[in-house]
Amino acid sequence: MQQPRPSASAPGHVGVKTIRTSELQPNPHNPRMLFDRAPLEMLKASIEKVGILVPLTVYWAKAQNAWVILDGQRRWMCAGELGLKTVHVNEVAEPDLVQNIVTMFQIHKLREDWELMPTALKLEVLMRELKEKKDKQLAVLTGLDQAVVARCKKLLSYPKSYQDLMLDPDPAKRVKADFFIELYAVRNDRVVNKMRWFRRDKFTQRMLEKYQRHSSGLKAVTDFRTMKQHIANAHTAKRDTQLSAKLKEFTYDDSLTIDHLVVSGAGTAAETRRLLALVAKVEESLASMNVADYYGENELWRRLEHLLKLIRQKLLAAGRRLRA
Amino acid sequence: MRTPKSRGAPIDSTRLAGWARRFSGYRRPITEQAIDSWLGPFGDQQDVGARLLDSVEYVSHDLIDGAFKAILPRLSGWSKGTAGRTGKWRFVAFSTSAGESGDSMLFRFRTANGMSAARYRELFIHKSELLREELGPDDTVVFVDDFAGTGRQACEAWASNLAELLPGNPRVVLLLVAASRTARKKIGSETLMRVESHRVLTTSDDLFHSSCSHFSGTEKRRILELCQLADPRKPKGFGDCGFVIVFAHRCPNNSIAILHASNRRWKGLFPRD
Repeated sequence: MQQPRPSASAPGHVGVKTIRTSELQPNPHNPRMLFDRAPLEMLKASIEKVGILVPLTVYWAKAQNAWVILDGQRRWMCAGELGLKTVHVNEVAEPDLVQNIVTMFQIHKLREDWELMPTALKLEVLMRELKEKKDKQLAVLTGLDQAVVARCKKLLSYPKSYQDLMLDPDPAKRVKADFFIELYAVRNDRVVNKMRWFRRDKFTQRMLEKYQRHSSGLKAVTDFRTMKQHIANAHTAKRDTQLSAKLKEFTYDDSLTIDHLVVSGAGTAAETRRLLALVAKVEESLASMNVADYYGENELWRRLEHLLKLIRQKLLAAGRRLRA
Repeated sequence: MRTPKSRGAPIDSTRLAGWARRFSGYRRPITEQAIDSWLGPFGDQQDVGARLLDSVEYVSHDLIDGAFKAILPRLSGWSKGTAGRTGKWRFVAFSTSAGESGDSMLFRFRTANGMSAARYRELFIHKSELLREELGPDDTVVFVDDFAGTGRQACEAWASNLAELLPGNPRVVLLLVAASRTARKKIGSETLMRVESHRVLTTSDDLFHSSCSHFSGTEKRRILELCQLADPRKPKGFGDCGFVIVFAHRCPNNSIAILHASNRRWKGLFPRD
């Protein structure tokens, strides 16, 4: 049987009120391992001095029969640690599932140390409920970086049994999302998918076994980039048949290393060396450049801007993560 | 922990055969020869090793099935028939590492409770499907696994991702074959999961605890010496649990090291790999 709402707080009337700190519950859509200790200590010190200046945003969750925080979990945690009996809150109407998820995304953004799979699963709910699949739209909606949306969608493309591996209770056994994200490029490669022996899930399983055994030719998740490059090189050199045989051998023979996938005559080593030399020259010139001497050289700045854009595009296409 | 035979009971072929029979079905074959080799390092105190083997609580596949069969009807609101069930019920493997216990436990749980038929399929879902199920307070999620020794892993899992997958506050049950009292308490206080276990291990199941009266102080010291040889970092098992429980599919890491550690210094009878 449901208990009556706490009378002092008289929920239902949207607006600012005061309720007991202990009556509040964190939002279930929040990642629990959410808050870094240092900024939390700073906020605590501030609250101790001047109190909570901005009321917490809360709603009355009918099903749970409880006050749930929509925004202000850090303030609430500090209030609890400081022993504040009550806090000012701003009650808003109970959000539905989609509204709640979107709000949580917008408030917390995504941090690198959070597990990506729960975020991907929330994104899945949003995609289904809103019938929206475009990365750009989803990024705007959630406040997530477009690249993060793309990564989440890659995870969602895997069967549920693989998704579960990213949710294992034992952190040591939990497979990192990066494994599946890096594998995606090979698993979905058109050339590879045309190979007669290739079965996506069997291949995924074998790669997982190789990766978990460490001593079986696959040392790091970034090896899939090298694998993808060897595939592209072989395809460009029209050596798909040779590549297919080599990839099959590598897949099922744990004694082989990634180098086994090199198809003779299909390498880009010489071109890579040439590009590296050019990049080194440009780097050296730019490092020694005194900017003030070149203020008026508009054409130079225009070309550099263009170069920057091009480098960015290429890095993104290569799946490199760019930092601001 | 089982009561061992009295001190000085002969370590003869009958006793050896009895152990081999009792431990049959373990993931690695346990022969009389393997048992004999395992007793070797006890030297002139082989009686201690023999009594330790007597005390091992071996949970066979049949016992696991029996435990799962016994627990489910105890859960309020459950009925095999849809009409008699309260709310939506979902059964989920707690640990999901490829080929690990959680997956196989869920399978055993399903067959033990006679729910192999296709009509029960919707009740058994993946963890990654929980969020989209939109389970509410009238619904029940049952996580199925074999064992909780300290409860630490379950609590960490709850904090790192499980709670996020269950925003609608359904009733959450962690259904286990066995759990320590400490684990039950920790999980109960730090998460919203309620532990239902067929067997509850107490301090008397901790071989090194004073309330374990099957072994004398001297015998415990000898066992500990060998445990330290087998695994200097965790001689009493993970979380210093000191248990002697072994499941047919795997020995928990909370059990004492001489049972499962397998390295250059020691060859455990119940290796985990």
